[in-house]
Amino acid sequence: MKNTIILSIIYLAFMATAIGQEKYATKTGEINFEASVPSFEEVKANNTNVSAVLETATGNFAALALMKGFRFKVALMEEHFNENYIESSKYPKATFKGTIQDFKLSEVSGKREYLIKGTFNLHGVDKNFEVPAIISVNGEVVMLTAHFVLQPEDFKIKIPSIVSNKIAKDVNVSVVFSLQKQ
Amino acid sequence: MSKQRKFLILIFILLVGGYIGYNYVYQDHRDIQSETSQIEITAPYLLERFKTNDGAALLNKTITVTGTITNMEEGAVTLDESVYASFSEQISELNTNDKVVIKGRCIGYDELFEIVKLDQCSLLNKTND
Repeated sequence: MKNTIILSIIYLAFMATAIGQEKYATKTGEINFEASVPSFEEVKANNTNVSAVLETATGNFAALALMKGFRFKVALMEEHFNENYIESSKYPKATFKGTIQDFKLSEVSGKREYLIKGTFNLHGVDKNFEVPAIISVNGEVVMLTAHFVLQPEDFKIKIPSIVSNKIAKDVNVSVVFSLQKQ
Repeated sequence: MSKQRKFLILIFILLVGGYIGYNYVYQDHRDIQSETSQIEITAPYLLERFKTNDGAALLNKTITVTGTITNMEEGAVTLDESVYASFSEQISELNTNDKVVIKGRCIGYDELFEIVKLDQCSLLNKTND
């Protein structure tokens, strides 16, 4: 009898945490980046298989992109990106872990801008970052979009001098996550 | 006459060089569908390999994966909750619980969802029971 009571208390406690941990997630988030220089071949890639998870109760947000999932228009550029610059066999993924500041799901009406504070891990290097993001809610879907700029040298990505004038110093990144309620 | 000949030879070399150079720079993307796969593996075992850090050798390789569809999404399926396979073309003939054999490029292990991801997949075989 005592055991049943204890068990049901534990069970109820788990239930409560499960309700508190409401999650929104996607496996088909999109990242585009561009480092083109005018009058040279465009340096642009996109990845449509990016994973992301948002815990609405805490505002914790995590995203993970597999580097080999980035596709370029020019196959040779894709090969160089993987083998020489991003070294995707050694560092197969890029991650971002952070917290959306002052986030309350119930307060999002229409579009609202938030700041996400967190850490990027790319090419094996961690870097703290603040990303402004636009969040909107549509029924069971939370849309999160963001635009930001990264510098390859911050992540110890070396661009050989022979091509450095064809690749921009600032890489423009845009992300779109359509997070479904789990 | 000899000068003209030299000039023609030079033009010829430039053309051939240019053609080879262009083909090198603008070579075609890999065609995963026509590549022969390196290994045939079940979905749970593929996940196991990545979880035990034994998957690096499979990165960027064309592999064949067998499993049961546990989840369907637009343009993608999940096999045995272990492998997420996104297709290059629309898939209409698949349903949950179908046993399938698919071929695709292994792009790595997603630790957020604890799943191995494949892209540019094509369906090789399916049985439903």
